[in-house]
Amino acid sequence: MSNSIKTQMRTENYIDDFIRREKQTEPNPFLSTHIIAEIEKMQQAEIKKVTWWQIVVFVACIVIMIFLGISVGNSYINHISQEITMNINDNEIENLGYYSLNNYE
Amino acid sequence: MTEEQLIQEIVCGNTLAFKMIMEKYQDRVFCVAMGFVHSKEDAEDLTQEVFIKVYLSLSTFNHKSKFSTWLYRITINTCINFANRNRKRRLLQSLEDVWYSAFNQRDEEQTPLEKMEISERNLLIKKAIDSLSDRQRVAFILSKYEELPQKEIAAIMDTTEGAVEQLLQRAKNNLQKKLKRSVGN
Repeated sequence: MSNSIKTQMRTENYIDDFIRREKQTEPNPFLSTHIIAEIEKMQQAEIKKVTWWQIVVFVACIVIMIFLGISVGNSYINHISQEITMNINDNEIENLGYYSLNNYE
Repeated sequence: MTEEQLIQEIVCGNTLAFKMIMEKYQDRVFCVAMGFVHSKEDAEDLTQEVFIKVYLSLSTFNHKSKFSTWLYRITINTCINFANRNRKRRLLQSLEDVWYSAFNQRDEEQTPLEKMEISERNLLIKKAIDSLSDRQRVAFILSKYEELPQKEIAAIMDTTEGAVEQLLQRAKNNLQKKLKRSVGN
């Protein structure tokens, strides 16, 4: 057998030996569990993420609330009856004599 | 449960079905990744990256090819991108590995000099495999690490069996050329 063929065969053996040893390497037995955990973490992050339409709905809700507040407030002021105000006697409602303690000493 | 049923389950969001698929193919993906990066930690990272990509894009799998063929394609693309991205870092890592393996081998029959020689030889083989063109490297790794038939390699690489045979022959010749002087003597 010529030298070049011997060299070629030896090189091939070295390469095969190297590949055989690399193939013997085993991955972490918990690798699949780790990957599943990673995927679930990603899914949870996606659920928590606020989308653009959620922001739009939130802003629209605030604008509607302000508008309703102002219009309800305006409608209350417009319907105050003068007769009712005439019948109110502040002295009857808040008798300050109770707080002065003069009558109970 | 058949593979197609499992895929349907995964698309519906069943992670348990995905775990079953992963346990079936994990070793194959890891082995291919080892062929590209020659490091256990990097191969594990790549396996994780591949399966996350698979999970996210499984709804686009159109069943025209076998699931394993589709999976190998994703694995190869991810590995090539990773290898090109981390070329410099991996060279430094390889040098570290030489020193580590030279002084931490438990084989008592080998002298320190022999251990050093084996480590240096392994580094040269790694560099020779990494210096192959992308297509040659893919064909070589699928053939040697996964022992796939040429027909399947051709399907994965989207080429003919003749082209795969040619790629393998060229890869073998290139490795011989690169290693003849340094390793063969």
